[in-house]
Amino acid sequence: MKRMAKLSNSLMLVILLGTTSSLAGALGAALMFITVAGAYGFCMAPLRWRTSGARTLLASLLLAATLTSCAEIFAQRWFLPWHQAFGLYAGLIGLQCVVLEHHGFFRQTLTERLRLSAGFGVLMLILAGLRELAGRGTLGHGLFEHWQGLVLFSAGLHLATVVPGALISLGLLLAARQAWTGSNSIFKETHRP
Amino acid sequence: MNRLTSALALSLLAIVGIGTTYLVQRSNAPQIAAEQRLIDSHKLLDVLAINSYDNQPLEQPLALANIALPHSTLTGGYRATQAGRPVAVLLRSQSQGYAGTIELLIAIDAQGKLLGVKSLKQNETPALGGHLGDWPNAWLGTFTGKSSDGPTDTGWALKKDQGQFDQIAGATITSRAAINAIHDALRYFDAHRTALLGSEP
Repeated sequence: MKRMAKLSNSLMLVILLGTTSSLAGALGAALMFITVAGAYGFCMAPLRWRTSGARTLLASLLLAATLTSCAEIFAQRWFLPWHQAFGLYAGLIGLQCVVLEHHGFFRQTLTERLRLSAGFGVLMLILAGLRELAGRGTLGHGLFEHWQGLVLFSAGLHLATVVPGALISLGLLLAARQAWTGSNSIFKETHRP
Repeated sequence: MNRLTSALALSLLAIVGIGTTYLVQRSNAPQIAAEQRLIDSHKLLDVLAINSYDNQPLEQPLALANIALPHSTLTGGYRATQAGRPVAVLLRSQSQGYAGTIELLIAIDAQGKLLGVKSLKQNETPALGGHLGDWPNAWLGTFTGKSSDGPTDTGWALKKDQGQFDQIAGATITSRAAINAIHDALRYFDAHRTALLGSEP
């Protein structure tokens, strides 16, 4: 992938950091992302070879906006608490589709796309699980209406629940991954940054 | 010709997109509004135990008279009933805090004892008076079971003011405003008991 592509793909960071303060939030965002991107890829395929250049971009913008709006309305209907907490980031999913389209993500093979999406989804869930555990001592709080989640300890580190803490956690995760692939030894996540 | 068809296709796409969004929005709006109301009422009513009432208190707002109290203003009232008998009255009270108005929801049972207090809106200093907005709230919990005459009028104040209540650390003005608003509401309940409960319990 080109260098420029890497830069604008960092837009993903906003969704990644913003929605991972709890496992429920990350799961909702990942599901919405997969649904919208899947529908987008499906609908865009016939449009792509009928248009070219700036028109493709316009078409992809229109399609992404439509799909994201509809997904947001459905999210409000069935998952209103989630939408009230994370709806701010839902709109970015549409923008992300346009960026991905521009960088040729949807022209890759299906397996490649699935691999990337699954990787991103797993990263989101791992980050969310770590942050929720470190920040509040629970896992899966708010996943179901009357379930308080798996309470492991009562007080947590507030920093982990806010966005700067998310960036630090992501850094720690990346460092852990590098250490893992480098020496193949197990590195425990530290709770205190 | 090719330009024309692609322009046509794009405008068709735009129309279809806008139309779909509009239809989806229209068909889902009532359900979304209902969900919103449900969440709002849960937020307000979690000062009451879920099984202690069986009506929809928010659907029946009470008409309040003389809402200007010594330290606060009442902005609304609701009655919770179970099997037709009034079990609690919820009063929304607004008072002046350290950094803006504080809105409290004060639940009082039929005997005039405080069931619970929840802060609905506050702009107090984060980490000091801002703790008033936490829920569940241990400090607001200390008032549960109190009534307008127990403790006495002088007891209804901070220890700093020769009363009997602790304050939120570092937030005297916020604590004072909350105590006065709660005391006001309890006294208001005593003065207007019959009107608030509808009939004698």
